[in-house]
Amino acid sequence: MDALHILIELTLMPLVAFVVGLFMVLMMRRIAARIQRRVGPPLLQPLYDILKLYGKQTQISHGILHDIGIIMAVGGYIAAETMLPVPGMNGIADKAGLITLAYVLMVPSLGLALGVGQCANPNGSIGISRALTAMLAYDIPFVIVIFGVAWQAGSNNLVDIIALQQVDGIASWGIVQTPLLAFAGLFALHAILGKHPFEIYIAPAEIATGPMVEMGGKYLGGLFVMQCFQLYTAGVIYTSLFLGGGENWLTFLVKSFAVVAVPICIAYLFPRFRTEDVVRLVWKWPVMLGLIGIAFVMN
Amino acid sequence: MIKDIPIIAEQAQQPRRTNPLAHVFDELMNFARSRSLFMLHYCTGCGAIELPPAMTSRFDMERLGIQPMVTPRQADILLVTGYVSIKTLKRIILTYEQMGSPKHVIGICSCTVNGGMYWQSYATAKKLDEYLPVDLYIAGCMPRPEAVISGLQKLIDNIKHGKSDNWKDYYQRYDHYLGNQQHLFGNNWQTPTDVIGEAREYGLFGPQTLGQHTELLESVQKPLQPLEMKL
Ligand code: SF4
Repeated sequence: MDALHILIELTLMPLVAFVVGLFMVLMMRRIAARIQRRVGPPLLQPLYDILKLYGKQTQISHGILHDIGIIMAVGGYIAAETMLPVPGMNGIADKAGLITLAYVLMVPSLGLALGVGQCANPNGSIGISRALTAMLAYDIPFVIVIFGVAWQAGSNNLVDIIALQQVDGIASWGIVQTPLLAFAGLFALHAILGKHPFEIYIAPAEIATGPMVEMGGKYLGGLFVMQCFQLYTAGVIYTSLFLGGGENWLTFLVKSFAVVAVPICIAYLFPRFRTEDVVRLVWKWPVMLGLIGIAFVMN
Repeated sequence: MIKDIPIIAEQAQQPRRTNPLAHVFDELMNFARSRSLFMLHYCTGCGAIELPPAMTSRFDMERLGIQPMVTPRQADILLVTGYVSIKTLKRIILTYEQMGSPKHVIGICSCTVNGGMYWQSYATAKKLDEYLPVDLYIAGCMPRPEAVISGLQKLIDNIKHGKSDNWKDYYQRYDHYLGNQQHLFGNNWQTPTDVIGEAREYGLFGPQTLGQHTELLESVQKPLQPLEMKL
């Protein structure tokens, strides 16, 4: 593969991710609206929000780390998108394995922690400490699930894992082969998305949206862009690990949207847990299921 | 009694735009701005009770792209929903100055228009627009959610046509607003936000940004100190 080809893919993949992510955000808000018996926002609402935020005329920066933090938050996800294979484009997915991906996915939270630290807002600090605690909670089942899938496939390369699942249709999908791991993965995915009942670090009524408390204008815009990437990443990782990736764009999009819709439909029915309850819950059930799943895979 | 300050209608110098697409871009931004409004509701007084129905299933503001936000940094509209006591007004001004421009203030309820039934109260600020540049009033004691929504639609129209620029007025006639604030709060009044510095930075300086009241402010201004940590 020549350099130009890979350069085009590296540009296109984050762009596609952003556009798909916009629609995922729209889906999320529409589902929330329908559950609450509302009409919900119009089609291009997520785009308007981002345009408006970037078009603010006064920008309040709290210093250089505040700026860098947002760049890390968005950049971490942009890097992750280039490692997630989509139909027709592999980017650098066959060179970077699942472990690199898991590392890169930690960058946004750390970047946010840096940026919020400089804002010196107590609500922000509480929020970010909760966000890092939540990361500690969901990363353990996430790593267990990744390990199990990699063991089952005999490779930690997403391209191989997808190819293996596409050999003979649904019967070879991860969700059929390793249902326990798939369930633990869905649980971890819900926690990664940070929606109710795991919404401990946003908590608008309690700590005024935590990490976002001092963000306005383009800083908040950056976080809105990050949210698009976050939904897309979560959906695509799960699709690649358990639903056989995408044979073509249609099945790929249907699967990823369906994956994101599941936690969101559950989310708006629940109130919020406390931090220690989240850690207790996530370290108990998905970890247990994941470990049993691994035991099945390994024998 | 409010001091009378003559108003000179003079705009600050705008930098000339040479890009031929600048106009198209401005239109696009105005449209996006009008279709996405984050509101911060400062729930003073009784009018706040009409906002939950306007936001939730019955009238659903999100159709219009309006959604509640929780901090001033994130918000575009400041809703003041009812009578403003003098103590509250200080907080409203602090909140307003922390918002990022373009920002809009909406006064809901008759009490923000002219004091309403609190006209004779010694502790209530009467006309909100003497202290902050109000974009829109929604009168009524209290206005129904339909009235609130139609008022917000009016604001959306104004923003779309680039007519809702009152936030610039706060920078350009800061002396006037500060004068009224000092009249109410005393001569030691100061806020953490450096409005004059912002006006300079963003080219929003007007002929009345500085004046006798800002001189008074500069003479009493104390530099900001970090709050003491106490448990
Ligand atoms: S106008 Fe009426 S409803 Fe509104 S704050 Fe005043 S007294 Fe209350």
